[in-house]
Formats: sequence, structure tokens, C-alpha cells
Amino acid sequence: MTRLSADQKIQPHWWSKTLSGSILGLSLAFAFASIFAWYGPGGIEPSMKTQFNMWIISPIWLLVLSFSFLFKTGKKAFLYLSAANIVAYSIFLTLRWYL
Amino acid sequence: MRIRGDILRTYQSVHTWTGIVAGLVLFIGFYAGSLTVFKPEITQWATPTSEYLAPIEVEKYDALIEQVTAKHQKAADGFTLNFHQQASPLTWYESGGGRGLRLDDSLNHATLTQQDELVTQLATPNELGNLIDLLHRTAGIIGEVGHEDLGVIILGIAAVLYFLALVSGVIFLLPTLVKNFFALRSNKGASRFWLDSHNLVGIISLPFHLIIAWTVIVFSFHDVFYGGLGLAYGDKPLFERQAKAEVAYSVNNLHPVDKYIKEVNQLAQGYQIKSMEFSRLNSKAPQLGVQVTNPDVMKRGQDADYIMLHPYTLKVTYSSVFSQEHNSDPYGPVVKSFFALHFGNYGGEAGRWLYFVMGLLGAFLFYGGNLLWLEKRRQKQTTQSRSNRVMAALTVGICLGSVLALVSALLASKWFYLMQVQINQGYVYLYYAIFFAAIIFCFIKGAALGAIRIQQLLGTICMGIVITSVIAPLIPALGFMQHLAIGGFEIVALVFAMAFFYSAHKTAQRAYYGERNSIWALTPNTVKDVTPQQVTI
Repeated sequence: MTRLSADQKIQPHWWSKTLSGSILGLSLAFAFASIFAWYGPGGIEPSMKTQFNMWIISPIWLLVLSFSFLFKTGKKAFLYLSAANIVAYSIFLTLRWYL
Repeated sequence: MRIRGDILRTYQSVHTWTGIVAGLVLFIGFYAGSLTVFKPEITQWATPTSEYLAPIEVEKYDALIEQVTAKHQKAADGFTLNFHQQASPLTWYESGGGRGLRLDDSLNHATLTQQDELVTQLATPNELGNLIDLLHRTAGIIGEVGHEDLGVIILGIAAVLYFLALVSGVIFLLPTLVKNFFALRSNKGASRFWLDSHNLVGIISLPFHLIIAWTVIVFSFHDVFYGGLGLAYGDKPLFERQAKAEVAYSVNNLHPVDKYIKEVNQLAQGYQIKSMEFSRLNSKAPQLGVQVTNPDVMKRGQDADYIMLHPYTLKVTYSSVFSQEHNSDPYGPVVKSFFALHFGNYGGEAGRWLYFVMGLLGAFLFYGGNLLWLEKRRQKQTTQSRSNRVMAALTVGICLGSVLALVSALLASKWFYLMQVQINQGYVYLYYAIFFAAIIFCFIKGAALGAIRIQQLLGTICMGIVITSVIAPLIPALGFMQHLAIGGFEIVALVFAMAFFYSAHKTAQRAYYGERNSIWALTPNTVKDVTPQQVTI
């Protein structure tokens, strides 16, 4: 393994990464849960599925937050997570619109 | 396994800071959670048997209901039938009742004599089990935010940090995991031993910890999650609303108890009925909440599943018992399993003891984590940095102080009844008085002496619990305690007494003979009133 130069290494950027991971991670988790709620097995109808959907939000959110610290900079964390949000919500809204 | 150095360092920082911020409240949540596993037994242990009225045969419940509702207006609106040993056959709230914790509710108990005459008795329910549960859920932090306890929110935030600590801890442990997994190096000094045991406990109980972190976050923030999910549901309601009936019912139209039993037994096969709570009986929205239990299956509540019925039409409005014939929503059992995995209610007695032990190991994990933080910042000088001294005093004062305060309340329980202290207020005042006294002691006298003294006191008080139970039958004034024998509770107290005395001894040895340049070192110069001989037991 070659030694990484200073700017190849992960930068700390604690605040920006934590904020991006917390907020954009949560909205991303809501997007996944929403897609699952409407188009996952069973559809929107089963009454206990509402609770299941609520339960899956937090693990998705926390895993995104946990791995946000792998982004090299806080700016990249913000950009990639924003892009993931846009993709996820586009899928959700497209499905809701056409199905 | 090789991982880049900068990744390891990043996650080491995440682990350190999330751990140190969340560790103290999580310690209280965990050790109190271990005790909460045995909440029914603790309440039973603390309640004088004289408060329970004699059980009657199931066939007599109808006669009992008829007599009670005819005579007492409050009971005609709602009452609870109990079908297990540690409760009177029928109870109703004279004041208070409903959800949440109140310290001076008064609960009426009723039964029938052999000649079918009504006997009633008013008493304040013992809340010791519920208070320990509250400590478990709030870490003893008082206050409310909206309709949620402040402590619950704080523990929810702590659980988010705890999840991050788990993930980051695993990541930066990966490279050395295989080599050092079962290594418990006690010959390389105290800090090595703490590090090895911290890693070992953390890795072995990782699934348990992930489940606890996840469920605590959901318990704290479900309103937020449902709120966001509601937006995605759009016009579709998250939950079906119950239509209100047009008919007003009267308590006189109730079915015989036998009919309810048959109905419930059919809905919940293999379960035992614990209690039936009838409420709002003379209204348009009457309700019957039945608690059923089975020690070996996953349950929605800590020790019961719930079935809600309309007491007059017998229509089922909610049930947490799922089966092919009734209530076959495939998501039901999955959601229920999340709750059950938190409560540890699915593995019978052995499963509950396992959760008890894992909860205590969790507390040990956080305590040890704080000790490691202190050790890492140790400087080669006799007086350690201010931040180190403060953190050491907080760690010992809050963690051991909370245990000391709770154990003191357990010891005081029987004596409160003897001295006719208002029981539930007594627990609360005693807990906070001792908790804060312990923290103040640690700040004034230092964490080293604090740890020794508190552990000695812990051992003494645990012995006191055992001694109280032993002498109870010998003192006539303690008449109500005469049934007490040495049971599981006393055996556990004895084991813990021994453990606390031993660890107090080890702590004292380290203080006098261990590393000098440490927050844990004591010399006769720094503390004048103690000599090694006095402290070493």
C-alpha cells in the first residue's frame, strides 16, 4: 500500500459531514421508506405495514450517517448525499405520478 | 484485515466522542433496564402481601362484578379483573389511573368471602417497579417536552450516538479483531485489561446492542418518523380511525365473564389471560383491554400481548396476537418482534436472565469506555488535568452513584412500610438525595476515594437487603413481611454484595499500590483521613 499524501486522506470536517449525514441521511431514509410503503410487498394497504415503514427509517438514516465520515470532504458529503436524495425522490414522485 | 490508516483514525475519533458524550446516561439506562426485566417480581417483592385480597374461583367473578358495580359508581364506569396470583380478583381506581406514573393513586381492591359477601380495601399501589422502569427510560432526567419526557428524548439522542459508536467501534477494531479477540491480558496492567474486556463484551453482544440502539431511537422519535411518513402517505391516513358508536351502553348489559374468556381463548390460543380492563363502560366508546401472556413467545408488551374488544358487541378493535385464522397481517409479527427483541420476553426464564446479564454487561461497556478515555489522557504527573478530574468524578459519581441510590431505595422499601413513610415519594426523594450526594462527594473528595467509598457502601447496602429479609420474620411489628423467605431477590443481592466488596478492595489496592501518576492514585497526603489499612478490607 502506497502512502497517501495529505490531500488524498480523509479530511475531518466534523460539522459539515455530521450535518449532511444527519439531515440528508434522514430525508434519504424517508424517501426509501416512502417508496417501500407504496410499492413494497403488500402495497399501501396492510395496517401493520405503516408501523414497519416507520421502523425501517432509523436504520437507513443511521447507516447513512455512520458512513458519511468516509467522504473525503464535507463538501463531497453534501453533494453526493444531495444527489442521492434527488434521485430517490425523483423515483418516488415518478412512481406516484404514473402508477 | 487491512483498513487505511486515515479511515481508522476517523472512526476512532467518532467512537471516542460519541462514547464519552452518551456513555453516562446510557449506563443508567442499561443497568436500570436489566432490573426492569424483573419489574413484576420487584413490584411483588416490594408490595406487602396484605394488600392483595384473597383469590376467588372464576365462576364467582360475575357475582363480584354485580356487587361492586351496584355499590360503587367509579367501579361501574370501569374496573380490572385479574386472573393471576399476585393481584386481587377485582380492582378499580378511586383516584388516578390511566397511563403514566403517579405516586399517590389510590386503588380499590375487591373480593368475595366464602359466603359471597363483598370485601373491599383501598391502597396506594407500590410503584417501585414502575419507578425503576422510568429510570430506565429517562435516566432519571425530570421534565417534559410536549407530551414526551425530556429524559426519553435525551436517551433517544444518546442512542443515535450509541449507534454511531457501535459502527465506528467495529470499524476500528477490525484490523486487530482476529488476533486479539479472546485475549484478556490481565498481566499487562489495568488499562489493557479494561481495553480487552471492553472489546470482547462489545463484539460478543453486538447484535443485542444494535437492536437496543435501534429500538430506543424508535421509542423516542416515532412521532417524528410518523410525521414525515404521513407526508408520503398523502391523503391516505396512517392509521384507521375507530368510528364512534351511536348507542350508549350501560354496565348492566355486560356479558358473563365466561363469555369473554372463551372469546379471548379462541383469539389467543396457547396464551393465559392475565387481566381484563373494562373502561368507559357507560359511554358510546366502551373498551375492554385484555392482557394475555405466554412466556415462550415474542410479545408486544414487556410481559403481555394486548387484545382490545368492544365489551358489548365483542368486536375486536386491536390485537397483537397474530395467527392464520385471526389477524393474519404479515407485517404484524415482524413489527412485534422488534419490541420483543428489546424486552427480551420470548425466551422464558433463561431468556430473561440472559437479557439481565447482557444489560449489565452493556453498563460495564460504557463505564469501561469512560475509564479508557481517562487512561488515554493520563499525564505523567501526580495531578491530572482538570478535564480528566471532572470526567472521572462524573463517571464514578453518576454511574456508581445512581446504582447506590437505587439499591438504597430497595433496602429502604420494607422499612418505609414499617415507618409508614409515603412509600412512592419516599423512593423518589431517597434516590435523588443519594444520587446527588454521591456526585458531590466525588467532586469534593475526588473520583478515586469516591469509587472506593461508593463500592463499599454498595456492598453494605446489598448485605442490608439480605439481612432485612432474614430478620423480618423475627420482628412482630413487621407482621406483613412474615411470608418473606430468602428468595431469588436475596440471592442476587448477596452475590452483588460480594462483588461490590471485592471490587472496592481492588480499587483501594490500585489507589495505594498502583500507578502513582494516575487519577486513581491516593496518597495519605492528598487524603488525610484515610490510611491504607482502613480502606483495604
